[in-house]
Amino acid sequence: MRVSLLGLALLSCSGPALAEADLRGFWNLAFDAQPNAALLAKLPPDAVVIEDSGAPEYPRMEFGGLKLTPQALAHAEAWRPEDEMTLQKVCTPPSIVYAVQGPFPFEVEQTRDLIVFRYEYYDQIRLIFMDGRGHPPADAPHTKMGHSIGHWEGDELVVDTTHIAPSTITNNGLDHSAAIHMVERYKLNPDGSRLMATQWFDDPEVLENDGARYIEWRKQPGQYIFPYECDPTFVLEYQQVGDGEE
Amino acid sequence: MTPRALIAVALCLAPLAVSAHHSFAVYFDSTKDVKVTGKVTAFRFTNPHGTIVLDVTDAQGNVREWRAETNAPVVLQRRGWTRDVIKAGETITVEGWPARDGKPYIRLRSATRADGQLIGTAPFGRQDQS
Repeated sequence: MRVSLLGLALLSCSGPALAEADLRGFWNLAFDAQPNAALLAKLPPDAVVIEDSGAPEYPRMEFGGLKLTPQALAHAEAWRPEDEMTLQKVCTPPSIVYAVQGPFPFEVEQTRDLIVFRYEYYDQIRLIFMDGRGHPPADAPHTKMGHSIGHWEGDELVVDTTHIAPSTITNNGLDHSAAIHMVERYKLNPDGSRLMATQWFDDPEVLENDGARYIEWRKQPGQYIFPYECDPTFVLEYQQVGDGEE
Repeated sequence: MTPRALIAVALCLAPLAVSAHHSFAVYFDSTKDVKVTGKVTAFRFTNPHGTIVLDVTDAQGNVREWRAETNAPVVLQRRGWTRDVIKAGETITVEGWPARDGKPYIRLRSATRADGQLIGTAPFGRQDQS
């Protein structure tokens, strides 16, 4: 009975169960990341790991080894970056496929049945269901954050995401479709000061091979997410550069 | 400036606009530095980027308007910046990386007041947050 009562008490706790890693906290991108070989080894062997995590980005028509379908290649060739810099588009958030690796912090809240990632980048919030549910039907609404279900493999959090609304993958003309499937694996380093992750994605509509990234964040106790509140009138600043000059 | 010239300038600057937010390397020259001193006419403190507008007077007395694009204000706030840390009318010096297209536009690394005091707690790096 005493053991049962203890079990009930643990189940009622709002925090993570003891066997799981405690990912709670404020995480800021680590610019000095050294990819964790053990995590990389768990990626599917044919996945190409692109190296644009954080501030770096690929120039036009370079995709880090991703092989584009002819349709996606044509789309990338026709893509014009200036079309993105409009009042209508500049504050449109990217999907989680791109946002997950951006050089902005995120905050984790964690319970047994639900994990919440709050991203500073465009004020996005992501729910990861840990209660054993599956994904909704294929024709259910898609969103920029998608539908995420997670489970623990030892102390590693594995998150499976579908239903992601089309958006950019590499921010240079390669866009994913609504059919993209993403799997992430999160793991703490031994002292809990760093959060390491791999992101794998598969989208046969635009990619002929699977893609992946390695991402790492530093824990910053005491910090919290600020509001982003993107202001699209920023684009007007550019239009004024050089005014009055011939 | 004529409407046609305005359109030409807008078209010319559009790639800069996108890269300025998303890709430093394409639109700013990391191998060069630029440093200008001028009188602030405007300071925008909104995401995705802040902007400092300066009137810079050269040795001949000609005034040219410069703009310095900052990191996202969410980043600035963690380095001691606030929306009124810079005021219109004050003279400051901005340092950073020049736009590749030669326009009077820079990506800000640091800003200092007339007395040499650094604005904020630390300068910004090329690999910092957007």
